[in-house]
Amino acid sequence: MDTQWPLYEVFHQKARGEHHVHVGAVHAPDAEMALVLAKEQYGRRMACVNLWVVRADQIHASDYSDSDMFAHATDKSYREAFGYKVGEKVKKKRKDAAKQ
Amino acid sequence: MNDTALKNLLFRLADDELITGHRNSEWTGVAPILEEDIALSSIAQDEIGHAQAYYTLLADLGAGEPDAFAFLRDASRFVNAQLCELPTGDWAFAVARQYLYDAAESVRLAALSRSNYAPLAQLARKLSGEEKYHLLHGKTWINHLGRGTDESRARLQAALESAFSYALGLFETPADEAELTAANIQLPEAELRRQWLTVVAPVLDGAGLTVPAGRAVEGGRCGEHTEHLAKLLDDMQLVFRSDPEAEW
Repeated sequence: MDTQWPLYEVFHQKARGEHHVHVGAVHAPDAEMALVLAKEQYGRRMACVNLWVVRADQIHASDYSDSDMFAHATDKSYREAFGYKVGEKVKKKRKDAAKQ
Repeated sequence: MNDTALKNLLFRLADDELITGHRNSEWTGVAPILEEDIALSSIAQDEIGHAQAYYTLLADLGAGEPDAFAFLRDASRFVNAQLCELPTGDWAFAVARQYLYDAAESVRLAALSRSNYAPLAQLARKLSGEEKYHLLHGKTWINHLGRGTDESRARLQAALESAFSYALGLFETPADEAELTAANIQLPEAELRRQWLTVVAPVLDGAGLTVPAGRAVEGGRCGEHTEHLAKLLDDMQLVFRSDPEAEW
């Protein structure tokens, strides 16, 4: 018989307004106990204002055999901030504005 | 008021935390699951830290050094309640003792945070966050075992029966209580005990458990202890006493 408690994934928030970040998991019989145990496993060193716990078997995940669908077949750098070389232009505009 | 009554109060607070912290540290490595092992070890560290903070207030009053309080006193000079020194027992006993103790401590800290002795009031407010977690941890386990299986409920009820009279001993009235209450340093123990019961009773009831009847086992506050305290101190003080002059 498997006597292991269910697994709860733990998400940690370091300040209000920040994203919750996945930091690990705990075994616990229910969500209430998972929060109590997660506090000491994951909240005792880093600054923390809030924790989430989510039962691991409630998470829907994509399949690793499908990871090729995330790859880009063509250049999509226009989707990224680094794809736009505007830094020099902005600097020049600022300089001109300061001169006036 | 001379400060003897205040020092006695600080010793009661500190000794409760030190001995409870040491007992909880005995679960390190052997708690029922890894996650709980870490949580309870961490709580033990908190409690020993609280003891150190109270001993430091005593040092500020010129009573001596924190290390000497912890490691060079014999059992008859400790004034912790006997609840704290009882042997580790099974997991149900650990849960029962810890919950009854933390409920008492949270009531006491809430009262002390309004104490007329400012350093103590300030410290009580500082410790209340950690204590809030300790109480949540205890209450969660009470609910888990109380609402679990027939066996878990029966074992927790039995543990409560054996711990309860000792828990009432946390509120033993000290000989110098009148001085503390007159100076608004602490509420009377009988009032703290009343508040404690209003916290504990609904939680036990809600978890399907019965609040035990019983008379307080007292004496701890006067230095009267079970045989278990001397054995605990033998372990706890062994290293320090092997070379009291060592720099750590």
